[in-house]
Amino acid sequence: MKTETNIFMHPDFIDGARNALPIFIGYFTTSAAFGILALSSGLTPFEAVVFSMTNLTGAAQFMAINLMASGVLAGEIVISVFLMNLRYFVMSASLARKLGLQKKIDKAVISFGVTDEVFTVASLKPGEVSTSFMRGLQYTSWLGWTGGTIAGVTMGAFFPRSLQDAMSGSLFALFAALLVPEIKKGYRAAILAVSAGLMNTVLYYVCHISAGWSIVISMLAVTAVAAALFSDDDTSGAEIQEEACR
Amino acid sequence: MSDLLLIILACAAVNYLLRVVPFIIPIGDKLPPYVKRFLDYMPVAALGALILPGIITSFPDNPAAGIAGIAAAGLTSWLTGGLILPVFASIGTAWIVLQYFPI
Repeated sequence: MKTETNIFMHPDFIDGARNALPIFIGYFTTSAAFGILALSSGLTPFEAVVFSMTNLTGAAQFMAINLMASGVLAGEIVISVFLMNLRYFVMSASLARKLGLQKKIDKAVISFGVTDEVFTVASLKPGEVSTSFMRGLQYTSWLGWTGGTIAGVTMGAFFPRSLQDAMSGSLFALFAALLVPEIKKGYRAAILAVSAGLMNTVLYYVCHISAGWSIVISMLAVTAVAAALFSDDDTSGAEIQEEACR
Repeated sequence: MSDLLLIILACAAVNYLLRVVPFIIPIGDKLPPYVKRFLDYMPVAALGALILPGIITSFPDNPAAGIAGIAAAGLTSWLTGGLILPVFASIGTAWIVLQYFPI
């Protein structure tokens, strides 16, 4: 560690790490929930921790373990994750312009740590954002996400059987908890979610399409129609990207 | 290597590609409004499709436990925000239904 202290002692690195503290706390608790739920979805503790270390993504990880538990095919899981995380492409495009990184290694490492929260903090920070700041911000966020899963799988191992049975619905509780704040921001989120849910139900029960594909089709169809119908920009998350693009 | 581990690494590759490509190939960030809305709405639509009809089948022996659990989670989330508390509220509620109201 001693030889690397110049990276970790840089004032911008410390500033970035300080900015990441709220992210750390939010990630740690969410990711602990992920660790617990991953076990009840049939992942080993090792698989759960590798998932968090290598993916560093929120709702898509929860979606993936849900699909894994219901035995959905690998291709359908990967496509669902791709669609749900398409937004990273836009965020990275915006950040790439703002950061103006020159070194290949910086591009390779910093792009790995682009998340909704890191993007928001970096985009809203006025003026130039240094590479050291990004490192502090991202390393701290990654530690929170990975550490949380480690804590979660450790806790989950001690849960009694009856409690583990009661946990088979907790992924859905988490989806609801992710959805409710979006609905509070604007009624369109409620319309979107309910339409997608109803369409998925019809596709699954009436058309007998497999669970993975029916989710992919519902997501795409409802989003495509809604994005065409809701012409003016509303409040559901759009403003952050708007600001970043200016 | 287990099948699940392969899926996990494939997801990691997809996530990394989505993030790294715009850093290598500058594509700019001036997207048409329709595309921007599309990307904004996608995660919300995904959550809807994930909840329905999955919640009905999550407790095959006692669907009421799932429905009561998600109702408790929604209410807790509306009142307090956060993710951990709603999850615990749902586990507690589902546990009570499973223990005391078996079908």
